[in-house]
Amino acid sequence: MKRTIHHPPESKQGRTYWRSLGEYARTADFEEWLHREFPAGAAEWENDPLSRRNFIRLMGASLALAGLSLSGCRRPEAHLVPFTQSPEWVIPGKKLSFATAQPRRRGAIPLLATTFDGRPIKLEGNPLHPMSQGATDNHAQASILDLYDPARRQHLTRAGKKVQPAEWDAEISRIRDEAKSSAGASLAILADEQLSPTRERLRTDLQRQFPQLTWATYEPLSPGRDLEASSLVFGDNTEFRPNLSAASTILAIDCDFLGSDEGDINDTRGFASGRRTRKPGDSTNRLYVVEPRFTLTGTMADHRLRLRSSAAGPFLLELARQIRAAKPSADLNSLLSQSPDLSLPEGVDPAWIRECAADLVAHGNRSLILIGRRLPVPLQALGLALNAALGSVGSTLLVQPRRTSPSSTLAQLAGKIRSGSIQTLVILGGDPVYNAPADLNWTAIQSAVPNTIHLSPISNATSKASTWSVPGTHFLESWGDALAQDGSYLSIQPMIQPLWAGESQLELLCRLLGQPKPIGPALIRETFASRTSQSGEKLDQGWNDFVREGFLLSPSPTANQKTVNLNAVAGLLSRVENSPTEDPASLEAIFSQSGAVDDGRYANNGWMQEWPDPMTKLTWDNAILLSQETAQSLGLKNDIIKGILVADVVQATLQGRSIEAPALIVPGHANFTATLPLGYGQEDLGPVAKGAGFDAYRLRTTTADYQTTGLQLKRTGRTRELAVTQEHQVMEGRDLVREATVGEFQKNPAWVKTVGMDSHMPPNQTFYPSPKLDGMHQWAMVVDLSTCTGCNACVTACTAENNIPIVGKDQVMKGREMHWIRVDRYFTGEPDSPESVSQPIACMQCENAPCETVCPVNATVHNDEGLNVMAYNRCIGTRYCANNCPYKVRRFNFFDYNQRALDKLYWGPLAPKGTEETIKLQKNPNVTVRMRGVMEKCTFCVQRIEDAKITARVRARDSADLKIPTGTLKTACQQACPAEAIVFGDLLDESAEVTKLRALPQNYSLLEYLNVRPRLTYLGRIRNPNPAMPGARTSYIPSHGHGENHSQGHGEAHSASGHENSGDHK
Amino acid sequence: MANIFPRFSNWLPIKILVCITIIAASVVSGMAYYFTPKYTRVGYQPTQPVAFDHSLHVNQLGMDCRYCHTGVEKSSHSNVPSTQTCMNCHTQIKSQSPKLSAVRESWKTGNPVPWVRIHKAPDYVYFNHAVHVNRGVSCVACHGHVNHMEVVYHAKPHSMGWCLECHRAPENHLRPLDQVTNLDWEPPAGTTQRELGEKYVKEWNVKPPVSCSGCHR
Repeated sequence: MKRTIHHPPESKQGRTYWRSLGEYARTADFEEWLHREFPAGAAEWENDPLSRRNFIRLMGASLALAGLSLSGCRRPEAHLVPFTQSPEWVIPGKKLSFATAQPRRRGAIPLLATTFDGRPIKLEGNPLHPMSQGATDNHAQASILDLYDPARRQHLTRAGKKVQPAEWDAEISRIRDEAKSSAGASLAILADEQLSPTRERLRTDLQRQFPQLTWATYEPLSPGRDLEASSLVFGDNTEFRPNLSAASTILAIDCDFLGSDEGDINDTRGFASGRRTRKPGDSTNRLYVVEPRFTLTGTMADHRLRLRSSAAGPFLLELARQIRAAKPSADLNSLLSQSPDLSLPEGVDPAWIRECAADLVAHGNRSLILIGRRLPVPLQALGLALNAALGSVGSTLLVQPRRTSPSSTLAQLAGKIRSGSIQTLVILGGDPVYNAPADLNWTAIQSAVPNTIHLSPISNATSKASTWSVPGTHFLESWGDALAQDGSYLSIQPMIQPLWAGESQLELLCRLLGQPKPIGPALIRETFASRTSQSGEKLDQGWNDFVREGFLLSPSPTANQKTVNLNAVAGLLSRVENSPTEDPASLEAIFSQSGAVDDGRYANNGWMQEWPDPMTKLTWDNAILLSQETAQSLGLKNDIIKGILVADVVQATLQGRSIEAPALIVPGHANFTATLPLGYGQEDLGPVAKGAGFDAYRLRTTTADYQTTGLQLKRTGRTRELAVTQEHQVMEGRDLVREATVGEFQKNPAWVKTVGMDSHMPPNQTFYPSPKLDGMHQWAMVVDLSTCTGCNACVTACTAENNIPIVGKDQVMKGREMHWIRVDRYFTGEPDSPESVSQPIACMQCENAPCETVCPVNATVHNDEGLNVMAYNRCIGTRYCANNCPYKVRRFNFFDYNQRALDKLYWGPLAPKGTEETIKLQKNPNVTVRMRGVMEKCTFCVQRIEDAKITARVRARDSADLKIPTGTLKTACQQACPAEAIVFGDLLDESAEVTKLRALPQNYSLLEYLNVRPRLTYLGRIRNPNPAMPGARTSYIPSHGHGENHSQGHGEAHSASGHENSGDHK
Repeated sequence: MANIFPRFSNWLPIKILVCITIIAASVVSGMAYYFTPKYTRVGYQPTQPVAFDHSLHVNQLGMDCRYCHTGVEKSSHSNVPSTQTCMNCHTQIKSQSPKLSAVRESWKTGNPVPWVRIHKAPDYVYFNHAVHVNRGVSCVACHGHVNHMEVVYHAKPHSMGWCLECHRAPENHLRPLDQVTNLDWEPPAGTTQRELGEKYVKEWNVKPPVSCSGCHR
């Protein structure tokens, strides 16, 4: 008789987890959605006269025809083309790694680039560098695709027409002559922020040669208020950075230091190191977050307060008073003497602030207050002063010499242009035409300059508006240098010749100086020599080490700044204002950075467009984010129609400028505040960016570059379909994520076994024979939910490593995204102010894999090392395996995503076939590029496993020692993870971390009652709430219906029988 | 009663039967030949741009495989030599030979010699040379006696079944590591390949992968 496994009904008691507002409200649309694997139409051949039956008929006929002519059996003649002269180090088929770095506006990321046959295919963090320790983030991972973007600028143009390099050379000498005659007054340079010491050196040289030269820098998302505050508090030429590894109590006010907005890889790493709780008694840090929109930092918060950004001022003043109350000091008295008496915004419990302040004071120099770097200067200065009062300066807040030198701002440059003195404007990188403040009217200003030159690797709105458009180089194409966040000096080593004859910023500056184009790293070496004051042989040696290892650590700051100028801060506090009253006709607007496209520079990067935003799970679009209450008061709604999220389009008006954008209702958002993510709506960038989202820069002004009030939203009556991956692959509330407080963990370390079905499991039995697992290794992975921030860097790393195609918005709406690892994000609690948890889900590599038993062609089978392997060339695409997968981790190639244009997928054979040549260069040669009709899924990076095994065997030769050194083999997701939340390894290796973690009592597997015995397991999430806080939860472990208390013995008795047996549960 | 069937129809069933037999036999034998792994390119012997003679270089001059195929012990790929490797000797020996004009041309212009590929694993197969030659599998096991070939041809089927024959019974092919590139090696008198192979399998812990993931990724 057929036995069916009955899933347990969802617990009516305790906490419920929900993934969207639709799920929370249990709408009919959602219920329908839940019962389908894919959105409506995804699995059907709709809207096509060619029905399935007709298709089979047609296929039969064509097969018969094909049989008539058995020609073409021989493979075509192919050639082997060796080098004529072998380059040093290159062995065909072997990878090489080089140290390099990705320049960023707030500190470069030290990287290790993997190249195959001279083409870089993957970037990893530099494991030697203390800021990276081998980790990366999603933008570092995605930047490799930018290198090969066929929409990059390929030609030198003047006024839109292609010109010869000789004309460009002549133009440079003309600019020099012109600048010489005016001592530089006619020349202005507008640069992006690169933190490059060599560029600084060339800039100084240039300013020496042309004393009246204007040098301006512009970064839309770095207004430099943090530097201003630092100057006020710590003195000139200082800057600060958090040291989260030393912090045990953290308060973040509108500061997404775990997301990409403010943070660095090192911040996430430091936070995770303080968060990691492996055994009872381990210290766990505590995070308080006050923010207007739900950010990644908010998901990690133990206590989160949703608060409008404008209310951060009153909040911070009240916090300062409470800190003074908890730790009276003369400094704070004088600081607060001039502060205005502001009322706390409605809904903020003074006890919240009081207890938070008490907790901060109790932890003294191990506490840290972080203020968003785009908030007003007085708030930032007050934040620094409070840190100083807590004693955290020098321990959790490090003060270091400033890495940038002062330049003109964009507005100052605009003033000079208006005065008519600038004849030639050289724009180095960036895209001011697109992202300059709207009130500046930069487009008109730029066109007022007779001669504008834009040097950039990407072709954007600014290059279109410039007289000269010069192809720049990607950072993997040219020599360079940069400073990391901690001030260490990084070398940027080119991996490949410029694909389209680009020129680097350094080369152009060199030529403007009248020097010849530098050869190789000559310029960088000169900077290196002057920084290290080395010469001769010592310089040669030092330089070689520098390039090989990729960095030179800066000497630690001589003395950590202890003197703090509180008077300067006290004077500023009068500028802190009350938050305006909540008014649906005048909303507060926040211009947020997009986690996917940054300030817009990654908008033509397909990986980033298809990367689900960690919080909204939105792809290929941005949307105005609103809370439910705000949306209701404005009459806006989001519907799910046939499984697709349809959002109302609103007209957003701010200071007379208006745009149209879809409005997305999100949980945990502050009321009467709208978040407008920047970076989308670029029409000039390339085919990928076209049509994706709206341009929020058009509402942003010089003064209101982060937060402002007076936004009006009006329904237009139109709607827009949004591609969210949020409600795809829903797993109903089955205790997938398990949480406990530190106290609960200490009381019962095996608490995960008392949650959900695990405590009820009868002995399991299995119908099918288990595969023989007698391999030399047994691979397994453990994800620590306590430290996973849900940043999705693993998703991008996996995409880069495993040749995962992008499928386009249309396909994502059908639930066909191809990511092998996804990060599920659950909400819990009330929709107004919920808590959130993230859980990465990849193939579980079940030992009793349900997918294997249903494959009719043995395309997915088990290997002796416990991997559920996929043989693509055997797969005939029945999709039975995906249907039978309880975790929904299998991905099907509905179309030839690698061969056909995404907008022509439905053209069938009529669509032109083939990939851009440059895109092919990025593909990992060790992973098959899958074709249409093939199922795929996470392989635990089997190519890396096999490579490690082969390396061990090659080393072993005629010995029997085949051990892979512990810790040398990492999967792509593990390697990228800055929180070190993913651990992978060999269960037979007792010293491997994964073995130790799997033995921990808080280790659990998803849907254990199914007896599929996953090799990917999770460590239950440990939260550290402060019991004294108002509304603090004391228990996170849901009760499961018995009513009696669950002693440790209960858990043990059940779990002891859990693993070896199987069966159903009624 | 008139004859319904004409006279020739007496033979029709036999004719049909014979035809069907012939068609069936040719289909079966055709499939047996073309669709089985044995057919896979065995005997393929294209004309190379340079008439390089392996038997001359290896057998008569005593050169080792690794002099030219330098990456074979380190990389997945066994590289064909760069033009530079040829010119190491041929700047002095036979420096004017007309047979070598393509090599000299390549050296002068920098354009590579377009050798015609003979052995090719499909794209979904990830074969690794290094792990085979470092663990006692000789070149001869897959490429045949190249040292006796004047013009190289495809000697073995290179089909999946053929790969698995050895992966399931590696003892039939293992030899001492210093004899891997000696293609004429025979087990010393008194021992058999099997005995020797079984000894190596045990001593070296040889466990070739037989699951899909060993070669397909």
